[in-house]
Amino acid sequence: MKIGVYFCNCGSNISDKVDSQQVRQVIEGHGDVAYFKTNDLMCSDDGKQFLSDDLAVEKPDRIVIAACSPREHENTFMRVLTGAGMNPYLMQMVNIREQVAWVTDDVDKASAKAAHFIKGAVKRVGFHKPLEKKSIDMSPDVLIIGAGPAGLKAALTIAETGRKVTLVEKSPAVGGQPVLYEEVFPNLECAPCMLEPILNEILHGEHAENIEILTMSEVVELTGFYGNFIAQIKKTPRYADLHQCIGCGECVSVCPVDVKNEFNNGLDDRKAISLSFAGALPNVPFIDMTACLRAKGEDCRLCEQSCPLGEGIILYDDAEEIVERRMGAVIVAVGASLYDAGLIPKLGIGTVPDVYTSFEFERLLSSTGPTGGQLVTSSGKVPESIALIHCVGSLDSNHKEYCSGVCCQSAFKFNLMVEHKLHDTHIHHLYKELVYPGKEEFFLYKRAKENPNAVFTRYRNIASLEITAAEDKEGGSIIIKNTLYEKAAIKADMVVLCPAMVPAKDTGKLNEVLGTTSDVYGFFEELHGRLDSVRSKVRGIYIAGACQSPMNIAQAMTQGMAAAGYVLNGLVQGKQLEIEPITASVDEERCSGCRICMLLCPYRAISFDAGKKKSMVNEVLCQGCGTCVAACPAGAMNSNHFTNEAIFAEIEGVLA
Amino acid sequence: MSDNNNGAGGGFEPKIVGFLCNWCSYAGADKAGGSQKSYPPNVNVVKVMCSGRVDPQFVLKAYSSGADGVLILACHPGDCHYKEGNYRAMQRHRMLLRVLNQHGIESERCRFDYVSAGEGDRFISVLTEMVETVRALGPLSKAIISDNISSNIIEKRS
Repeated sequence: MKIGVYFCNCGSNISDKVDSQQVRQVIEGHGDVAYFKTNDLMCSDDGKQFLSDDLAVEKPDRIVIAACSPREHENTFMRVLTGAGMNPYLMQMVNIREQVAWVTDDVDKASAKAAHFIKGAVKRVGFHKPLEKKSIDMSPDVLIIGAGPAGLKAALTIAETGRKVTLVEKSPAVGGQPVLYEEVFPNLECAPCMLEPILNEILHGEHAENIEILTMSEVVELTGFYGNFIAQIKKTPRYADLHQCIGCGECVSVCPVDVKNEFNNGLDDRKAISLSFAGALPNVPFIDMTACLRAKGEDCRLCEQSCPLGEGIILYDDAEEIVERRMGAVIVAVGASLYDAGLIPKLGIGTVPDVYTSFEFERLLSSTGPTGGQLVTSSGKVPESIALIHCVGSLDSNHKEYCSGVCCQSAFKFNLMVEHKLHDTHIHHLYKELVYPGKEEFFLYKRAKENPNAVFTRYRNIASLEITAAEDKEGGSIIIKNTLYEKAAIKADMVVLCPAMVPAKDTGKLNEVLGTTSDVYGFFEELHGRLDSVRSKVRGIYIAGACQSPMNIAQAMTQGMAAAGYVLNGLVQGKQLEIEPITASVDEERCSGCRICMLLCPYRAISFDAGKKKSMVNEVLCQGCGTCVAACPAGAMNSNHFTNEAIFAEIEGVLA
Repeated sequence: MSDNNNGAGGGFEPKIVGFLCNWCSYAGADKAGGSQKSYPPNVNVVKVMCSGRVDPQFVLKAYSSGADGVLILACHPGDCHYKEGNYRAMQRHRMLLRVLNQHGIESERCRFDYVSAGEGDRFISVLTEMVETVRALGPLSKAIISDNISSNIIEKRS
């Protein structure tokens, strides 16, 4: 084997401390070293030309480049090799600048150290194999789970480039949590109005044909891998024709069945056939078969009979269906939920009348909500005072340690909305910490502070608050006691709890279906908190919005676009998916089928071939860390470019 | 040219092999280079993509090839580029120490530690401490190696 060694002086950066002649004496004649050449600046245009020309003349089998850190110019030299017709993996770079010249005072010692490093590389490079990037077919289509702000923005961004998107939404309507809000912070914009243009684009816009919306649906199985996923999606029957129904609502008014309305948090009733809420899109009702008289054996046809379009719109025969979709990538945007304030029983949720969560209060304030926007207590009285309790379950090691960052904003928003509706109502803010970062967010805080009817009181610990119904209704029907300061009891007619944001209910189940992971708090776990917050740890599955971390609408929208960016960048229509060659591979002869590698792989890149009883590596998913290789008790696992042989040889070489 | 294994004064110069993960520790070593502070030249770096790739055999191989000490440097907990390779490396290191002890190799000759990409100074201090520790222990007895860690056994499996 003919090995060439190139020694870069790096101007004088290396040659000042490493004497190339001393190194040459040790290296020449070592192993298969055929020649040793120096160059003043290999990364310069002249240096690259020199290398390229020299490779053409010398035609070495392998080369070693002793220069700067491979983190700096390994790719540069790999490109030169490729250009010169040599496989780029037949090179080993030696870092004699950052790790030798710059950190060793003595020229003799530096030269000796450089020689050790180069000997290691020379021994190692003999075991290098030419590696090629592979490419495979892939689908540029995308599955998006969750039609809230993050999912909608991602869907629209992707669809606008001509890609096909399947948008799966569990509930009967799109828009997510904010469409239920009358006004959103920081500027009290009406949320449905704000989302309207996006919803309109999604449903009826120029690119709507690229977006398939499956409401009342959930992903029940995902197989395959990046570029080639296959999803099984369960569609719950709506019992109404999505395409023909005009959403007039005639059928709803005739329905004889009343059930709790989950869209108003159970604060009022809806019919068994219902539109989720006024203005819900798609504007088509659904039948809740758990409540419908037909499910109880009665032949009620009132909704069908009342339909002005006649028969065929209400579909009693509609049935559950599993549909299959193939796609290259998945974006999870299932949003979040609120911490269960019932876990802090002294706060009186569910036991003391007129104690509400922030979600419930949103609906009470909404003109499409259970009271038509009238802010009244359960006894129909205008509240004289309202207590807004911040940080319910937040910043508390007994509950959720983190700050959700948005609850203060909604509490300040409530302050202003109450002020607008009821000028004289007193507002008590009970808070642990006040948080309002950002360029607009101070505004609502300022307005709350300026409200002459608002009082801010800091509490130390949520456990010290006790909310009970007042026996003496004078000054308010509810008493909020602070057990740390007995005298500091506050009376109010209504209490709004602003709980921490927590993962949506089925996050764990969805993680299992997708093969993704959850973090310590149960949110979808990101690949890296700062660098890659919208990538999950499974390649090709992205996470956007409040399913990743507590966040506001702006942040969720931004993450939706970021996820779309990854998809558009990674899966380019008409192109194949390139696979990096530094991956693990299995020597089937040696594999005993113990599956230790499978347990260790952090990317689920290893599967088990039950027929052969051998492990298999998926090269698309494998990231080439080599954790499985080090663990394989049979020595059957190999890592390309970092083979045992190569590393053993390098160890021998550096110590020779 | 003097060899760093036989210092100019004829004193013992330990030979140490350092397994550095590509993302944190190797970058940390580069960071130390950028600061241009001198440190002992006794550590020969072998780069791996992840500390999780460090097969205990590599450590044994280093001793059998003449190393007096081995350093395994990983990303800090939670920072691993490959999620959890550093935890695997740490677990393996603990087990490996038991094996090494049984063969008469002191724990101090095999150090596992964390160096991030930003910690040039930490790289220097960990490495300098390692060199001084092994210098104080003296050379690793060749008898231990030939009796207990046969290079044949190691390489047969590779």
